Amino acid sequence: MAFSSHVFLFYFLPVLLALYHALPARRLAARNVLLLIAGYVFYGWICPWLTALLLGMTVANYALSRVIAGGCTRGGRLAATAGAIALDLAVLGLFKYAAFLESNLNSLLRLSGGDALPILRIVFPVGISFYTFKAVSYVVDVYRDRSPPARSLLDFACYVSFFPQLLSGPIQRYGTIDAKGETAPVFADQLAHREHTRSAFSRGVALFMLGFAKKILLADGVARVADAVFAAASPGTMDAWFGALAYSFQLYFDFSAYSEMAIGLGLMFGFECARNFDAPYRAESFGDFWRRWHISLSSWLRDYLYIPLGGSRSGKGRTYLNLMIVFLLCGLWHGAGWTFIVWGAWHGLWLVVERFFGRPALHAFLPAPLRTLATFLLVTIGWVVFRATDLADAGRILAVMFIPQPARGGSALLSAVIYTRGHLILMALCAVLTFQPVQGYDWTRRLGWAGIPVLVVLFALALMTMFAQSFRSFLYFQF
Amino acid sequence: MAARCSPGICLSVIFAAMIALVAPSQLVVEWRRGDSPQIAELFRRRPTGADLRNLESSLENACRIGQLVRPWMQWARFVIFEDAGDNAVLGRGGWFFYRPAVEYLVEPWSPEGEQAQGNVFDAIVSFRDDLAKRGIRLLVMPAPNKASVYSEMLARRAGGEGGPVNTATRDVLARLRRAGIEILDLFEVYERAKRTAGSPAYYLAQDSHWSPEGMELAAEAAAKRLLELGWVEKGSTKYQTRPAPVQRYGDVLRMIRAPQVERLFEPQRMNCTQVVDVETGRLYADDANSPVLVLGDSFLRIFERDAPGSGGFVAHLARHLGFSVSSVVSDGGASTLVRQQLARRPALVKGKRAVVWEFVERDLRFGTEGWQQVPLPPAD
Repeated sequence: MAFSSHVFLFYFLPVLLALYHALPARRLAARNVLLLIAGYVFYGWICPWLTALLLGMTVANYALSRVIAGGCTRGGRLAATAGAIALDLAVLGLFKYAAFLESNLNSLLRLSGGDALPILRIVFPVGISFYTFKAVSYVVDVYRDRSPPARSLLDFACYVSFFPQLLSGPIQRYGTIDAKGETAPVFADQLAHREHTRSAFSRGVALFMLGFAKKILLADGVARVADAVFAAASPGTMDAWFGALAYSFQLYFDFSAYSEMAIGLGLMFGFECARNFDAPYRAESFGDFWRRWHISLSSWLRDYLYIPLGGSRSGKGRTYLNLMIVFLLCGLWHGAGWTFIVWGAWHGLWLVVERFFGRPALHAFLPAPLRTLATFLLVTIGWVVFRATDLADAGRILAVMFIPQPARGGSALLSAVIYTRGHLILMALCAVLTFQPVQGYDWTRRLGWAGIPVLVVLFALALMTMFAQSFRSFLYFQF
Repeated sequence: MAARCSPGICLSVIFAAMIALVAPSQLVVEWRRGDSPQIAELFRRRPTGADLRNLESSLENACRIGQLVRPWMQWARFVIFEDAGDNAVLGRGGWFFYRPAVEYLVEPWSPEGEQAQGNVFDAIVSFRDDLAKRGIRLLVMPAPNKASVYSEMLARRAGGEGGPVNTATRDVLARLRRAGIEILDLFEVYERAKRTAGSPAYYLAQDSHWSPEGMELAAEAAAKRLLELGWVEKGSTKYQTRPAPVQRYGDVLRMIRAPQVERLFEPQRMNCTQVVDVETGRLYADDANSPVLVLGDSFLRIFERDAPGSGGFVAHLARHLGFSVSSVVSDGGASTLVRQQLARRPALVKGKRAVVWEFVERDLRFGTEGWQQVPLPPAD
């Protein structure tokens, strides 16, 4: 179920809010049970049998965390932790990477004259990348004694299946907080005790409305430009740049909208979560970008991958290697394909270059606005690879972007599809909103009377637009 | 403190009202209609992913508030953003284009890459061979997408030197010719006709189909080819035409699904002509015993079965041939469905000497049910 779908907005959410707030506030356990049921209904709506996978992962991780916390030998704790991580990664590997590995293996077999293996057809469980990472962070934190194990299976199941974060994050941790990020109370504590204030609820409403409007009015609008350009046979140079920029905007407004809606929904049920985006396209370097983009993932990678690999403590060469490993895996986490790996390598490479030449950035000599622009354009080039169907497709679009040429053949018709009045207005609006400093996360904190009509009008417009256009899923569902 | 909370409370109340009123209002609408609540479907059977998707889309489509809001929103989007919706693209000078037809031309496509529902070459060649076993000849006549003929009315730059916009179609036609398939190239027909100064528009501005003039040109070219090939001889029936102007909104404009948008335009006026049998004075009618069978899609339906009637491709083909023909029309289904109809009723090909098979260009890629091989039952 997507937050921007008819059934979620008009059936699931009102019913759940009514039931949840009808339960007495002191009956927190009952409210948690309701949230657990809601999480499974929400997830099962996509495909009912996926709930069995979610339940299996939850029970296994909870059981192993009890073993880890049970005070057995250090070796036993380590084995249980390794077992839990191996299980999580095996499930992730089976559902997300098996077909990719198999198709690459088949390519090698064909090269060597062997017979290709039949490709496994496995349904991709939406959200698996997110809840797997939540489970891994939990067992590692329990192993490191940074977090107590969950009080009960109910608590842990509530954490894993918490529906606002289930499909596309943010990847909130169970028992710890991101020390370098903006703090929000620990999730485990919020399960045991949380306050339901009117101000938190209304802030959640404001964030949800804002996110919904961003998704429907901006992201879905520019998506039509990106889709048309990336699907075209021979777009011209200007078309390719226009499409690449449209995709940069689409990705940002789509994913940040999802995060805002998720955080907003959490607040409506009394849960706080730290921000997941902080004006990422205003970044002046790649390092800065990753402190602002999908913050819960970048901090997860830092704490559970980069630092355990040695971080920057083992010399320059090792630091560069660690950065490359982390970003190659970051790419792979986003999708099972060479385009994602190359996209990860692109980011890793720029981070290494920034480290090599000394921070803040290779283009640090430029004035601040140009540093931002240069970083944005380099990030956009990365998004082209990220969006492309394969490396050849990425190469085709990038070649058109950098070798000036007109649109050819039927792609000459592309101008009628992409340079419409509506798309030009939307793109200009996206550019302004992307680079302006005020973020919805902060703006909703000090919401006054003046903001109410703005939010209501935006939300109403988005609802009416939703009725008039075909449904588009959130981009990060595919990851 | 209470005063500081008020904007938030106000916002929460408005939000709750906006999301909570849709479902109850729908229940009331369904109750007043005497229908059982659609949402109750959820509990009637064991849910599967597909059932849930179906339920979701039917809830969305049946939503009364959505139905009321949709046309107005579409109208606002059209007026402010010139956005013609999911199915239409606004061209220049009030011309509208069918979006899938534009996508067919813009996107790369190869018949080898899309084998899921058959292959266009195999389907056409096997049909030709099946007919040949019965002594029937096949003339294939792809109807160009409007944007293939009037690309400059969609995008100014397409009228420049970017090359033809329908390269994939040309490749397919060339391959079919190499396989010995007889093709009537309407692209060439229209290209040549457009060069004549003062030529009329061969496609309708608001519609995805040809204009009466474009249709007559195609009918004349098809008749000429059949006669030149010697597959049939000119008949002796005398037909004449009589003016039957028609005025209506085009199908692409209607696809915007907003009467408010339609009202921004004048209905298109079409100078149709009906075909009349001189001897009997009756309007043209098909003859099941004709030696010529015409298969096709809505390009055959327009003006023939739609208003004014007996004024479409089939009637004008008959006029040029001098005898009645028979026809099988399947809207949007000229790639496979029309041959399936034929396979179910093989009597339709009995006594035929030639089949003219029309399908719209975009069907090469998007044809309903793809390009399946549909064997004709053996001749008696």
